[in-house]
Amino acid sequence: MAEGRLILGKEALDLLRASGLSVLRTEEALDEAQAVEAARAVGYPVALKLSQAVHKTELGGVRVGLRYAEEVRGAFRQLRRLQPTGPLLLQEMGQGLEAFVGVLTDPSFGPVLAFGLGGIFVEVLEDLSFRLIPIGREDAREMIEELRAYPALSGARGRRVDLEALEGLLLGVSDLVKARPQLLEMDLNPVFLSEDGYRICDARIIQAP
Amino acid sequence: MTERGTKGKVFFRRLEELFRPRSVAVVGASDDFGKLGYHVMKSLLEGDFGGRVYPVNPRAREIWGLRAYPSVGELPEGVDLAVVAIPAPLVPEVIEACGRKGVKGVVLITAGFREVEDPRGEELHRKVSEIASRWALPIIGPNTFGFVNRTVGVNASFTPEFSLIRPGGIALVSQSGGFCHLSGFMAIEEGVGLSKLVGIGNRLNVDFPEMVRLLAQDPEARVIALYIEGMERPRELVEAAQELRGQKPILAYKAGRSEKGDSASRFHTGALAGDYRIWRGALRQAGILEVQSAEELLDAAKALEALPPLEGPRIAVLSSQAGPGLIAADKVEAEGLRLARFSASTQRRIDELLPPLAMRTNPVDMGPAWYNPRAILGILEAVLEDEATDGVLFLNMFASANLKLATEVRDYLKGRETLSKPVIGCFSAPLGLWEEVQEVDQRKGFVILPTPERAARAMGDLWCWHRVKRRWPKGG
Repeated sequence: MAEGRLILGKEALDLLRASGLSVLRTEEALDEAQAVEAARAVGYPVALKLSQAVHKTELGGVRVGLRYAEEVRGAFRQLRRLQPTGPLLLQEMGQGLEAFVGVLTDPSFGPVLAFGLGGIFVEVLEDLSFRLIPIGREDAREMIEELRAYPALSGARGRRVDLEALEGLLLGVSDLVKARPQLLEMDLNPVFLSEDGYRICDARIIQAP
Repeated sequence: MTERGTKGKVFFRRLEELFRPRSVAVVGASDDFGKLGYHVMKSLLEGDFGGRVYPVNPRAREIWGLRAYPSVGELPEGVDLAVVAIPAPLVPEVIEACGRKGVKGVVLITAGFREVEDPRGEELHRKVSEIASRWALPIIGPNTFGFVNRTVGVNASFTPEFSLIRPGGIALVSQSGGFCHLSGFMAIEEGVGLSKLVGIGNRLNVDFPEMVRLLAQDPEARVIALYIEGMERPRELVEAAQELRGQKPILAYKAGRSEKGDSASRFHTGALAGDYRIWRGALRQAGILEVQSAEELLDAAKALEALPPLEGPRIAVLSSQAGPGLIAADKVEAEGLRLARFSASTQRRIDELLPPLAMRTNPVDMGPAWYNPRAILGILEAVLEDEATDGVLFLNMFASANLKLATEVRDYLKGRETLSKPVIGCFSAPLGLWEEVQEVDQRKGFVILPTPERAARAMGDLWCWHRVKRRWPKGG
């Protein structure tokens, strides 16, 4: 992992949103009342998660599909035990295929963009495409098309993804890193892809000191 | 000035001249078979080089029957090229002398620079770089076999046999001398024409980006083929290739894939990013066609150099025997190509030429016309004129009964204009038979490759190149 400041949670998502990227609506909640209030604002069903851990899911720190206030309160009490201080994150539910967009700084190539579908596609099949930053629209299209999982995106199995929006995401991340070279690493994971576009659900960013 | 900071016009002009010298000094020239300087002299004198050769060796008066000079400083002229094959510690002094004498370029065969574990190698590398920068002196190497330029006929290497390579339009640049010997002899064996074969070795100040920029301007290099292991500044290669905007094909065979770079461990999940996969993406981004073997590098280069462009993915498979046709048909689909569906009139012409004893739609089994080369050529002509076909695989295995086919194919192609669509042929025959068909290899929009699989793969590479070119609509 690169040296630098680790940016997580809402701060990471806000940074991406401010750069024009599409992020799931996310609110911080310090207590149960704030969580219920945020859930009403975001709209049920919602997700509640830890704000200060890198591997939240492994810790059991993500509760999804909370349908009403009592479920939000219950989830809040449970997650409080895992993270006793600081806000928890209340988030609208993401829908669609889970994807992954990464940025790394390679010692010889410099900033590199990676893209793949989430879950077994990235973990078991290592089905990822790479390009040097900055990329052009043609590169973005090729990054998508060269995945073995491409048929899952192009609608071959009945499920369609807004590919133009997805190209826009890859271009947007590339532009962001080009404009701010101090962003050494990024891990947008998961990003939800659907026919309505993409929404970034979680992000981890390392910024040069 | 940085280590490779010699990026100016003088440096590039000299680099260009280095490859077509009129005078060459061989520093370390020898009459002793056990010295590399012997073999360099042999390459220069027994090849087709027509220029002046000056042996340099302080311990001899005459080498290979030529007057020897004790040092670079005492040469009668500032030569275009000095080939240096002497022990490493003596190299800095000789490079300095080359600079002072006005030598235009150097091939540095000597090894023992930064590739060795001894830190003195690194120090020597730094020292020679500094001298070369000061004189803006391009150096091919160190740790190289040298180069051959078949266009002008100079063999500045320690391998005289490279003078047997047929002159052609492919420039092959390799980081490994061993790879040049692998592919150079393969090129001789298969009649593939090269313009240059260059071992850039440890890339003191001439690396892939410099070579790509040079070859971009070189009309003799119609296709650029690279063998890459690793580079310090790979982005510069990407940029140099992008500057070409698809005006000539660049192919690369990238080795060293299993190595996991630092970047791998930099990703939080551990092993997400092997260096090779970044290379793959970078090559694609650069518009460089990546190939998967030494054979494919030459096959694809040969096809791209000699064939008209493949404008679409629809391929006709014509085979004198069923089996090879089926193999090719399988491979066509695996390469992202399609089997053409012939138009009704084309199919009628084929049906007239072939009795209904075998498969007459694509892949066409021409077996029933075995004894009849005219029918086979008639079918070839029909699919060449078929508007639903973009390229042709033309597969013929020898049998005693079709002895005359090769002559007929040769005469047919010789008697007509260059084909408008790419045709890749396979002519498998016993040694010494059917050789006449080789006369039309790489001519008339026709090339010959050894197997149906390799023929289909090369056709796939033509299609990949077509798609690369589309990235630059006005690339010319």
